[in-house]
Amino acid sequence: MKKLLSLEKIKALSYPTFKTLMIIHFLLFFLVVLVVSRIHFSIPGFSVKGLYQFPNIWEFFPWVASWFNIFLTIVLITLVGNEFSFKTFRQNVIDGLSRNDLIKGKLILIFTIAVYTFLMVLIAVLIFGIIFTKEFSMNIIFENSYLILVYFVQAIGYMTLGLLFAVIFRNNALSIILFLVYFPVEGIIRLFFKSEYRAYFPLKIISNLTPKPEFLTIASEQSYTNASGNSSLDFSEMGILPEDLPLGITLAMAAGYIGFFIALATVLLNRRSL
Amino acid sequence: MEKVLQINNLSKNYGNLQAVNNVSFNVNKGDVYGILGPNGSGKTTTLAVVLGIINANSGDYQWFDEPFSKLARRRIGSLIETPNFYPYLTLWENLQIVAKIKDAPEKDINYALGVADLLKRKHTNFGHLSLGMKQRMSMAAVLIGDPEVLVLDEPTNGLDPEGFAEVRNIIQSQAKKGKTIILASHVLDEVEKVCSHVAILKSGELVANGRVGELLSSEETVIIHSEKMDVLKSILNDSVLTKEVYLEGEDLAVILNEGLGAGDLNAFCFEKGFSLSKILVKKQSLEDQFLQLVK
Repeated sequence: MKKLLSLEKIKALSYPTFKTLMIIHFLLFFLVVLVVSRIHFSIPGFSVKGLYQFPNIWEFFPWVASWFNIFLTIVLITLVGNEFSFKTFRQNVIDGLSRNDLIKGKLILIFTIAVYTFLMVLIAVLIFGIIFTKEFSMNIIFENSYLILVYFVQAIGYMTLGLLFAVIFRNNALSIILFLVYFPVEGIIRLFFKSEYRAYFPLKIISNLTPKPEFLTIASEQSYTNASGNSSLDFSEMGILPEDLPLGITLAMAAGYIGFFIALATVLLNRRSL
Repeated sequence: MEKVLQINNLSKNYGNLQAVNNVSFNVNKGDVYGILGPNGSGKTTTLAVVLGIINANSGDYQWFDEPFSKLARRRIGSLIETPNFYPYLTLWENLQIVAKIKDAPEKDINYALGVADLLKRKHTNFGHLSLGMKQRMSMAAVLIGDPEVLVLDEPTNGLDPEGFAEVRNIIQSQAKKGKTIILASHVLDEVEKVCSHVAILKSGELVANGRVGELLSSEETVIIHSEKMDVLKSILNDSVLTKEVYLEGEDLAVILNEGLGAGDLNAFCFEKGFSLSKILVKKQSLEDQFLQLVK
């Protein structure tokens, strides 16, 4: 395991494109959260600051970062696709790695990238949360903090799907294009299924791990009591927000899909010639 | 004799194309084993299968009397077809990867780069090397971990005459150290000068296999000249001494049966009343043998 980690370290950290893309990822994320924090609604009673306050920030930042998971997946596909283009997977096997080691190495890479993005979001949450929350206690700070772990699982989910695409198509450009095309394709396929089945598709499951925050509810500064007696606006009841599977089921399904992607990539890499 | 590689009835096809057809041969410890064949004869495919990067359709192979394992791989240094390295990494970093995979010490990297005459370029990116240097870099990678067996597929591809000689020297020096070398090539001179054994492949099939010396001496061609060549040709054709008689320019080329030599032929002709004005023993070169086999 240590050996595979050190191999991936040499392969990735000495790759200028990888370093550049990771820096872009880091800067883009912070740019987006900084720019959004400066937005002021002209609608009385609404403010984006609510999104940056504990505990809402645990929901908002992973959701923003989830968009950049697609970017990280493209980086991952590039690294795996390069192994096929340069025929270095072949050379690694000739030199003494097994084909399972090749997959293990890439899983270590995925895990490492996921840890990096997890830490990036965690640090951002703590910095912005402390700046924007006026009054807080430990309870408020850590309420909903589990969502960042869910985000970590999502990062792994997207990247293992990317790994599968790279192993199937063995070509950077083709794998990236087809990975991106898969998003609308799965969306169209879902339309052919009854609504109760739509939430079980792989991308739907993975993307639902970080659901869109209830922006309108969070951004509302007014305490509003509706007819049913709730103290804030409930947009789900109003039919504005979609209903998704409970988080526990979504997580279990995502773990299942991640296992499936890894197993399929392993079988394909073992069965096909390098 | 300790067997390093045993190949049994190996076959590999790509759709309708039979790349390797029922090939079997053994390589013993210390052999310098040449695999000869024209382009597309199945040399690279055979080596790629036994190195585990292409899956065979049927047949099996064993390295060191055991099924191929991760440990066995580390006892083998291989160069298959083109040099495969990360173009954005330096030579040092690329060899660091090889050394880590083989659990070899990092001092091997300097040694290997020195042997391949690339020490001065160790901080150059692999992608910036010329084709010849890339090929030498492959040779350096092969030497990492001091492997017992070297598998080299066309190691002199793209090399200038100087590079060609350098690689040949590396191979010969490794052979002198007692290493087993499997060398696939279509450069007959290279194989003839370096190898102790040879297997000749044609269209995926093994057509000859044995010691280079045996393959060369199995048939001896004697070139003779006399008066009345047509009559002599006819007599020799009917004789039990000869395998084949044909005209070669103004002379007769006679391939004698095994165990017979030019002296026997001379005595036979003399008995039949022919005085030979020319008698020349032409030992077949590997090239002659090769061309005859793959014709």
